[in-house]
Amino acid sequence: MEGARGDAANDVKVSGPTELASKADRRGCCCLKTACQIRASWSRRASLHFDSDSCVCLAGFVSSEAWSGLPLRESRGCRDALISESCLTLAFSDRLESWDLQKEEKTPSWSMEITPPPESSGPSVGLPLVPGGYIATKPPLYRSLSPQLRAKSLALSSEHAILLSASGAVYTWGLGSHGQLGHGGLSSEEEPRAVEALLGMPMSCIATGSWHTVCISDGGDLYVWGWNESGQLGLPSRALHQDVGTSPAEGPQEGEQHEEVFISIQAFPALLDITPSCEIRSVSCGCRHTAAVTTTGDLYTWGWGDYGQLGHQTLISSDEPQRVEFFREQQMQVADVVCGSWNTFAAVVKDEVSCS
Amino acid sequence: MKTVSSTATLWSKISAALPRDEEEFPLQFGDKVESSVVEMLKRCRRQLYSDATAASRMLNAQIVVDVSWEKLNTGTWRHVDKEWRRVYSCGCLFKVAALCRDDPSADEVVQAVRTCDMGLLMGADIMDDILQVIVRILQGEVRKPTELEEESEHTEVKRMKTEIPRAPVIKEELAIPRIKCPSLESFSTNYLLPLKPVVLEGTIGHWPALNEHPWSIGYLRSVAGCRTVPVEVGSRYTDEGWSQTLLTVNEFIDRHIWNKEGVKGLGYLAQHQLFDQIPELKEDIRPPDYCCLGEGDEDDITVNAWFGPGGTVSPLHQDPQQNFLAQVVGSKYIRLYSPEDTDKLYPHQSKLLHNTSQVEVENPDAERFPEFARAPYLECVLQPGDVLFIPVRHWHYVRSLELSFSVSFWWS
Repeated sequence: MEGARGDAANDVKVSGPTELASKADRRGCCCLKTACQIRASWSRRASLHFDSDSCVCLAGFVSSEAWSGLPLRESRGCRDALISESCLTLAFSDRLESWDLQKEEKTPSWSMEITPPPESSGPSVGLPLVPGGYIATKPPLYRSLSPQLRAKSLALSSEHAILLSASGAVYTWGLGSHGQLGHGGLSSEEEPRAVEALLGMPMSCIATGSWHTVCISDGGDLYVWGWNESGQLGLPSRALHQDVGTSPAEGPQEGEQHEEVFISIQAFPALLDITPSCEIRSVSCGCRHTAAVTTTGDLYTWGWGDYGQLGHQTLISSDEPQRVEFFREQQMQVADVVCGSWNTFAAVVKDEVSCS
Repeated sequence: MKTVSSTATLWSKISAALPRDEEEFPLQFGDKVESSVVEMLKRCRRQLYSDATAASRMLNAQIVVDVSWEKLNTGTWRHVDKEWRRVYSCGCLFKVAALCRDDPSADEVVQAVRTCDMGLLMGADIMDDILQVIVRILQGEVRKPTELEEESEHTEVKRMKTEIPRAPVIKEELAIPRIKCPSLESFSTNYLLPLKPVVLEGTIGHWPALNEHPWSIGYLRSVAGCRTVPVEVGSRYTDEGWSQTLLTVNEFIDRHIWNKEGVKGLGYLAQHQLFDQIPELKEDIRPPDYCCLGEGDEDDITVNAWFGPGGTVSPLHQDPQQNFLAQVVGSKYIRLYSPEDTDKLYPHQSKLLHNTSQVEVENPDAERFPEFARAPYLECVLQPGDVLFIPVRHWHYVRSLELSFSVSFWWS
């Protein structure tokens, strides 16, 4: 596992992939060596371990140094977890719990019983989806979803949502002011509305940033829409080219127009070409950046880079997808990627080690 | 009380404006601001009063600025929690302190002014408007244009004025009536209550902007040249290529008044509460006495600046308040349509633009908008010293005929 932003005590901006060193390792806790999932908010990281002893460990801005890296007692036996800046939501087989991370309390600030779906009803869905609906980022926490949508996965930002249905269709709702709903305008939608531009093309993976939305088609193509002010869509962004003066080599030519078209808001899905061409397997978004893993184990990142979240050893933002060369150099295959608000976590497999 | 010598450094002046120590520096925010962010703010405050590297101070301040900027852009502006705007202002304050601490370069001072402006434009008042206090200190340090530069620019402006603008000829039967200094009662009875437009003459002659401090490009540069303001770029806000950007007043004048860099697209410093941002300019104007006929106080009046070259266009639209549009520099062609004729004006359907007509007033598409030609209207050329009364919800179209500076007063 690697991340692109260290703990507060050390470097704040970690601009090249760095292995997640766990203080917990020294205490002999759960390890980052066994497979675990990562969820991250702005100031914290949650490591989810789902083995015989399921638990969640927290790192980052935790209320007491003593807690850092240790499994949370409250999380023992949980099936899934979500972390936001203010709370940790845990899914158990019979209930959901939301714990306030800003206070040290003995009981969850919110909880709800759930009826576990019958075993035969197909693969269980992950948070924020729950039986009958989903867990929102602000109250009311539980929102119902029509079963007709056949929700397979759901991604949320604080203001918009995208749902992937079993049929491969995607629906969006929430605030549309930055084109993040993909319906072609800037209006908001109160109810899930199908993204018509993608109908007929089944999608397999979805992700949301604070103001943008990304999805992958069954065929491995990447579609992006929403705000592009930091280049998070991978389309030309004006702000990233402001300081470039006309270089002497390309002075104004007679009769030629060198007008670059910049995209601030992309209100309809756009197909994003990554060169050299490749198939995308999974994608994740931070607030203003995007990270995508190809079927051949490469990681591409683009968007806001001020905190090193793109992993290219710089603090530069980019409006073009660029491969994170580190993994190739280290002969590592990237298997998956998860983004926190301003950072990126990549799960890798070393080429010489056989998977088991 | 801190004492500063007459050769005080910039930092000593700024530091004198700040709270004396950590204990006196308030950092109280509502629940919406997470403890992790408050922690960052506390680190910034600690570093303000103790040793730290410049890099570390900048980093922590920038983290606060970045995280609060994201909150300010989340949801609708109207619903952004004021606490987050205060956090943003605090972040800007810490950033300015970091920039100015150790013998700042000219560029760092410019950055600091810009940072104060961002805090003033997007943040909310903290510590008795401390950003306003600090930007004033900083403005004193910024290089002013030399007398020679001012003189040559003054000549340029004079030359511009002798080129006669293509002013439309106002037909008498369509002219907005003009009246000189009506009494409050007469204005109320004849224009306000019946909601009839009128051009008031001779009512702002006493403004310093038209007397002791006549507004000119040179004057604006000296008072506000290094200050950052929002500028609209593009022919009109209903066009696809239209965008908003932030420029210093100097940059705006260079690029969009003089067009020094061959920049495409008109620039318009439009609908901006410049006078809250730059109090020296506020002292050059006065709200029209007639505003007292309204319901609110002077504080309820929204004052906006409209400054730009010839050719700027505000498409036909209506506003939900009464408007006094005062012309200070240059002239504008204005056309008014009554709200009773809205059905002939083809407003946009979308919620965002439903107060804006789809019709290009001076070049209407008769096929798409056949009824428009039948809509009655009144028009005028507004000159320096004139104040146009635009009754509430009256549709208005404005085109500047030359370099122009207007001030609008929205009241109820």
